[in-house]
Amino acid sequence: MELTLNHFLILSAILFSIGLVGALTRRHIIIMLICLEIMLNAANLNLIAFWHFSPNPELMHGPLFTLFTIAIAATEAALGLALVLAIFRHYQTIDLEQIQGLKE
Amino acid sequence: MSIAFFMLAAVAVLGGVLAITLRNVIHAVFSVLLFFSAIAGLFLLLIAEFIAAVQILVYIGSVGILMLFAIMLTTKVMGDPTRTVRSRGWVWGGVAVAALLFGVLIPLITRAGNTAESSLSNFDPSVKELGLALMDPYFASVGVIALLLTAGLVGAVVAASSASETTDS
Repeated sequence: MELTLNHFLILSAILFSIGLVGALTRRHIIIMLICLEIMLNAANLNLIAFWHFSPNPELMHGPLFTLFTIAIAATEAALGLALVLAIFRHYQTIDLEQIQGLKE
Repeated sequence: MSIAFFMLAAVAVLGGVLAITLRNVIHAVFSVLLFFSAIAGLFLLLIAEFIAAVQILVYIGSVGILMLFAIMLTTKVMGDPTRTVRSRGWVWGGVAVAALLFGVLIPLITRAGNTAESSLSNFDPSVKELGLALMDPYFASVGVIALLLTAGLVGAVVAASSASETTDS
């Protein structure tokens, strides 16, 4: 059985859905950030798969875009976790249901 | 190639599912590290060696460690029963996302009919090509990414430094 682009796209869709379920239902800030990383990784897998099966892979567009995405995701993780520390210092909790200072 | 793909896909799905279902946050981070390494293996399978190395260095090496540090600074290590964060809406979230996956994404992917064979058999993508492309047409993007990383690092330090210190100074 030969691998086609569809295999990678379906795997990527499944992984994205897993990340989406987690981001929608978990109420822990760090788990939510992890789910964001899972979704970004599924998108990266899509980019690399499209590059691999593209007619002219010598242009290296897929790996370049994936490099930029990884850099942005790393920045996002660092900033997000710094914000988690700041929120924890202010509210003494990491439960998203209890962080509602803007609402009251 | 096909067997390797299915094994790596199973490991990736297992890591992702464990990461969103495990109660213990430390265990969830370790299973997401498993997920990251499976993705790196898939990149290797797609002949993107440099991206696989970057994935291991950046995600497993730094993002995972950063998450572990954030957990250790906010909760007691290895589970604190008084601070367990319960989740709600599993059923509705799962049903909605399953409807999205099986109703929209997979039908659209299969209808597109991408049955192209791999065209990399007579081409060896090397890191040299990547470096040349980064230096010639993408130079401005590299500069923007460098600026973004600097701003992100400074912002993270400012956001994470304690509020009492900033009011004292």
